[in-house]
Amino acid sequence: MPLLRDLIFEAEIAARALGDALTGRGLRLGVTGLSRSGKTVFITALINNLLRRGRLPVLEAAAEGRIAGARLEPQPDDSVPRFAFEDHWASLTAPNRAWPESTRRISEVRLAVDFESAKSWTSRRSELTLDIVDYPGEWLLDLLLLDKSYEQWSRETMLATESADRARLAAEWLRLAGGLDPNAAADESVARVAAKGFTEYLKQAKADAYALSTLPPGRFLMPGDLEGSPALTFAPLRLNGEGAPRPGSLGAMMERRFEAYKTHVVKPFFRDHFSRIDRQIVLVDALSALNSGPAALRDLETALTEVLRAFRVGETSALAALFRPRADRILFAATKADHLHHASHDRLENVVRLITERAAQRAKTLGATIDVVAIAAVRSTREAEIRQAGATYDAVIGVPEKGETLDGQTFDGETEVATFPGQLPDNAADVVRGAGLALSEHETGFRFLKFRPPRLAVDGVAPHIRLDRALQFLLGDKLL
Amino acid sequence: MTDPRPRPRAFRLDDERIAVDGRANVAAQVRIVSAPEAEFPPVAAYATVKRSAAKRSVLSRFAAIAAAGLAGLMSLSVWLWVDRLVRSLFEESTVLGTIALAFAALAGVGILGLGWKEVAAILRQEKIAELQEEIKEAFSADDRARARALAGQLNGLFSERPETAQARREVSEAAASIVDGADLLKLAERALLSPLDARVRGEIASAAKRASMATALTPRAALDVLFVGAQIVYLTRRISQIYGGRPGLFGFVRVLRAVATHLAVTGGIAAGDGVVQQLVGHGLASRISARLGEGVVNGLLTARVGLAAMAACRPSPFLARPQPTLVEVAPSLLRGRKDRQPAGPEEGPSKAADQNGDGGDSDLDRRT
Repeated sequence: MPLLRDLIFEAEIAARALGDALTGRGLRLGVTGLSRSGKTVFITALINNLLRRGRLPVLEAAAEGRIAGARLEPQPDDSVPRFAFEDHWASLTAPNRAWPESTRRISEVRLAVDFESAKSWTSRRSELTLDIVDYPGEWLLDLLLLDKSYEQWSRETMLATESADRARLAAEWLRLAGGLDPNAAADESVARVAAKGFTEYLKQAKADAYALSTLPPGRFLMPGDLEGSPALTFAPLRLNGEGAPRPGSLGAMMERRFEAYKTHVVKPFFRDHFSRIDRQIVLVDALSALNSGPAALRDLETALTEVLRAFRVGETSALAALFRPRADRILFAATKADHLHHASHDRLENVVRLITERAAQRAKTLGATIDVVAIAAVRSTREAEIRQAGATYDAVIGVPEKGETLDGQTFDGETEVATFPGQLPDNAADVVRGAGLALSEHETGFRFLKFRPPRLAVDGVAPHIRLDRALQFLLGDKLL
Repeated sequence: MTDPRPRPRAFRLDDERIAVDGRANVAAQVRIVSAPEAEFPPVAAYATVKRSAAKRSVLSRFAAIAAAGLAGLMSLSVWLWVDRLVRSLFEESTVLGTIALAFAALAGVGILGLGWKEVAAILRQEKIAELQEEIKEAFSADDRARARALAGQLNGLFSERPETAQARREVSEAAASIVDGADLLKLAERALLSPLDARVRGEIASAAKRASMATALTPRAALDVLFVGAQIVYLTRRISQIYGGRPGLFGFVRVLRAVATHLAVTGGIAAGDGVVQQLVGHGLASRISARLGEGVVNGLLTARVGLAAMAACRPSPFLARPQPTLVEVAPSLLRGRKDRQPAGPEEGPSKAADQNGDGGDSDLDRRT
């Protein structure tokens, strides 16, 4: 049966790809990133810079003056809400400027870029249509489940939960899970209690202090409109590994719901939005994980590697583009690079290179082009030096968000602060060595403060760091 | 996490106990200095030029010694001749002698000035060649500090050209913001050199056309050899000028040598230049008329030398775009005249050059 299901799934994807090709498709830019990695801000800044012709000197087409303009167009999918670019921009530029709220549902936008080709044999006006999808990053974690059975997932989840890093955090859930018997008769109220306990544990692990990443299923954290439905009322169980659970038992019910979750939630999401991506940017918020500790970084690595395994990458061909589109360029972007001085950007890139190594290796083997770059889609700081006791530290100046703490000070979200966030090591491997989660700044040696957005004019262009470099890598060859 | 690394720290800018930029606070323990927005070109920009150790063979060292000796003898003989002339004129009459002395002094001043210019030109030419080498290295190393210095030097090279004002501003701004080394060099190349590239391509195209036309029309073989030779010399000089060089006599000899070396290295016929097209073009044209065939060959030769001169005189290697090929600079010779299409935006200056081509060539460098 699974084989047949897979075949149908593949056929659906091919049919959609073919449909796209026939109706004239844009370039699908996959903006991939776990929650809080800055997808919404990246998309908003990208649109803002192209619409208002921001300074993009490294993007060749822009530097050569070949981009005539850009405009937002009606998107192809009628059933998906439009990306609320105007609202996000308004939130950034409002008097009490704030980053856009975390994304709760999927949305899509189509951006058309008018440019003139530099190729001598086609010197007429061309257009590049970009389709970009924004979605809650939590949902991305569901892609981890695609190839897993309930039994496998249960086992892995319980193992991870009991690991030294997480045990303290998961104490309550573990106590609850200990009382669940997979062979007991199915009981809806027990299932609900279990699902609630499991969700609580996931939510806690995601909190800033811990900054863990590998926390499927994603809809438990961001349910969208499925909250309370049976497909979301399940939890991993301690299965004793003696074949399929007895029909009518709690285990059987959980397994059925897990499968339903995959069929009705994960697969359509993947099929509709991730199976057809031409260019991919993977946003990685390494700084939060660095704040928390080595275990969080390792967890981030696991999550990224597993998530990217679900994507179709590799060298593409004309035929493949028709039936089985693949991402042939993947950019790993270390976001929020404005939180540290540019002299440390190379080291940040090394950290991201390290934690995406396995994912990148696989993509490279399949023929995709890979690059790693530190970016800040919206730059909220400026650079400075702190001279103290004869030493000079590379610093950034910005307004930290309310409640951020460092060195015993708590910031009020109004005053400018100059901060030296700590020195990333020469050897990136040092940051993932050791254990620990939610460590203090004395233990990790870093504290990357979160900054508020910069003051921006409503009709202005957001400053950025290397957004143009990212666009050149992702779209440069399409704008030739 | 045991190694002693500096701890993270933060200071509120409204704190009275610290000094921020200009705000004086003598007692402050902590001083915060904003990064200068645009400190460019970096002060050390002109000091970093690394002399590439050009080893000369023993033979050429002897040649240099011989040349020095001969030059000394020659200048002595000139000196002797002038001295005798002036003396004999003084014996004739004091007035004539004085006039001759004045002329001699005038000539001396002129020669000094020429010499000075020659030296400056040679140094400039060397600097351009070194710049190209350095940019190549910095580009592959993606070295930000070095790239900034080199972009500053590129800017300096064109600082006397008013039409590059906007491009220079662009480069300065990029160098002051956070742009990686390789990207910065690409950007500088594109901003500063791509308009010049277009002009150079135009020059090459029109020189090639002139050479082929003259060959087809001149009645004697010796004449067209002369004409093509003159075209090549003129073209090389123009290209060097467009790229910021100021070749005098000896500087120009150096440029020619560099071009010859480049041609020797890349081979008379570079692969990928469309060898087949050349043969076919030649074959077709020569079937119509032998002179026409030779014209095509001479045109192609001129274009090839022009491309070599482009590669040798350009202050930066080709980073953002590949080097133009023969097909791109001399499409008319390879495809025949009928289907000549205006090939993209960069063909514009070439057409303008065509129009001026036969008449006031000497004024081309004033055209922006």
